[in-house]
Amino acid sequence: MSDRPLPLPDPETAFFWEATARRKLEILRCQSCKTWVHYPKPSCWNCSSGDLKPEEVSGRGTVYSYTVTHQDVPGYTAPFAVVIVELEEQAGLRMVSNVVDVPPDDVRIGMPVEVTFQPVAEDVWLPLFKKR
Amino acid sequence: MTLRDVAICGTGYSTIGRALDTTVGTLTLDACKAALSEAGLTPKDVDGIATYPAMGDSVASFYVVESLGIPRVDWFEDLFGWMPAGITPVIAAAHAVARGACDVALTFRSVKRNRERPPGIGYGFRVPGDMQFRAPFGDPMTSQWLAMWARRHMHTYGTTEEQLGSIAVTFRHHATMNPDAALRVPITIDDYFASRIVSTPFRLLDCDFPVDGAGAVVITTLERARDMKTKPVKVLAGEFATGPRPDWDQWEDLTYMASKYCAENLWKRSGLGPQDLDIAQLYDGFSWLALCWLEDLGICPKGEGGPFIADGNLAIGGTIPSNTHGGSLSGGRLHAISHVIECARQLRGECGERQVKDARLGVVTAGGGLMAGALLLEGNV
Repeated sequence: MSDRPLPLPDPETAFFWEATARRKLEILRCQSCKTWVHYPKPSCWNCSSGDLKPEEVSGRGTVYSYTVTHQDVPGYTAPFAVVIVELEEQAGLRMVSNVVDVPPDDVRIGMPVEVTFQPVAEDVWLPLFKKR
Repeated sequence: MTLRDVAICGTGYSTIGRALDTTVGTLTLDACKAALSEAGLTPKDVDGIATYPAMGDSVASFYVVESLGIPRVDWFEDLFGWMPAGITPVIAAAHAVARGACDVALTFRSVKRNRERPPGIGYGFRVPGDMQFRAPFGDPMTSQWLAMWARRHMHTYGTTEEQLGSIAVTFRHHATMNPDAALRVPITIDDYFASRIVSTPFRLLDCDFPVDGAGAVVITTLERARDMKTKPVKVLAGEFATGPRPDWDQWEDLTYMASKYCAENLWKRSGLGPQDLDIAQLYDGFSWLALCWLEDLGICPKGEGGPFIADGNLAIGGTIPSNTHGGSLSGGRLHAISHVIECARQLRGECGERQVKDARLGVVTAGGGLMAGALLLEGNV
């Protein structure tokens, strides 16, 4: 896993990776209309407010879609499953991740999952998911 | 502003093949010369130019202006970013000629694979932007992103792997009748299932076939096109669209694409509808994209693309012959400039064994997921 690409946090995304390093999943939330905004942007896609703050989410969600990749990519040996998880806080609030405790071919749409954190570098913890 | 009627008057290809020794500059100039020659034009007649050189696999417009000795250019665009790549310069040129910015516009899309690049969008070890939320999770490739759209469609509508396979088999059959196609050996559904899995549900035969090559298309006024060597193919509409949250996984619903909005624009602006079409050249960077375009254009009801294709409707002789050149899956990955060329040649009646009888109205589409572009073309004008 040593050649796994790592995130390059910027002022918009640093909160996310600082939170995962504390084993917390935080997502930007519009303080004006309460819409969750992911990926991090400086403006709310729903109401255009610039007043966004990170808030902790439950970490629970369901698999919205998935693919089992059969060729190696940097940091991953085939076959492995990539999933889009839809978080329970909001319809359409999704993140790309992996499911850690399910064989790739057993991943299914609708599978209930919850977040778990895995260290991949000294300062980087990835939010992955396990079956719940 | 009065808009002028616009037509395609010339089309041309370079050599197309796998890992050619030819430079992308030579490929580009060969395609441009072929397109001008087909129209009976010379570089001195060109006063507009556009391309999509965005991915570092091509040359920019000025390379062609200088190399061909085009004396003066009154309109040019080099188009970048997420775009329906091959069709974008053609649509832009049609609009430029329509408003009188130029009279003869040369457009091209050239592709020379960079074989040094690792798979996926290579950003190195530390990944910036939104990709920092994908690449660290083993998700750097377009094939994976769109595989998850296809999977969601299969989940929602019951689309099957066999139906995806029928797309590959149908387009390959068309390619066997196209001397310019990269892959011309017929395949069966068994060959499809035997091809290796790239990223489920996509097998190798669901993915376009990477080639080196170039295609060029010349646009002028309909009036002027009538005096050229080729039969004019009128551009009835050229439209783009995206929708809310244009992102590979935040998009509102992964069972339809930006094509839904683009199709609405196409039918609204032209006053025509899917029932008027004789042929369709559907972008097929991956098999499922063609299926989704088919549905989003309204050629068949939403969710019924799988059975519609498996029933043979896209075959030459079917209700809506599609990708009659083999598409990107079998013709080669030229990012839909080949779809434009094929549509124009079909509407001129020049496609020999694979000619669709009495083809008069055709649609060309490009783009997948969050970006879409489409052209509506008419022959016998």
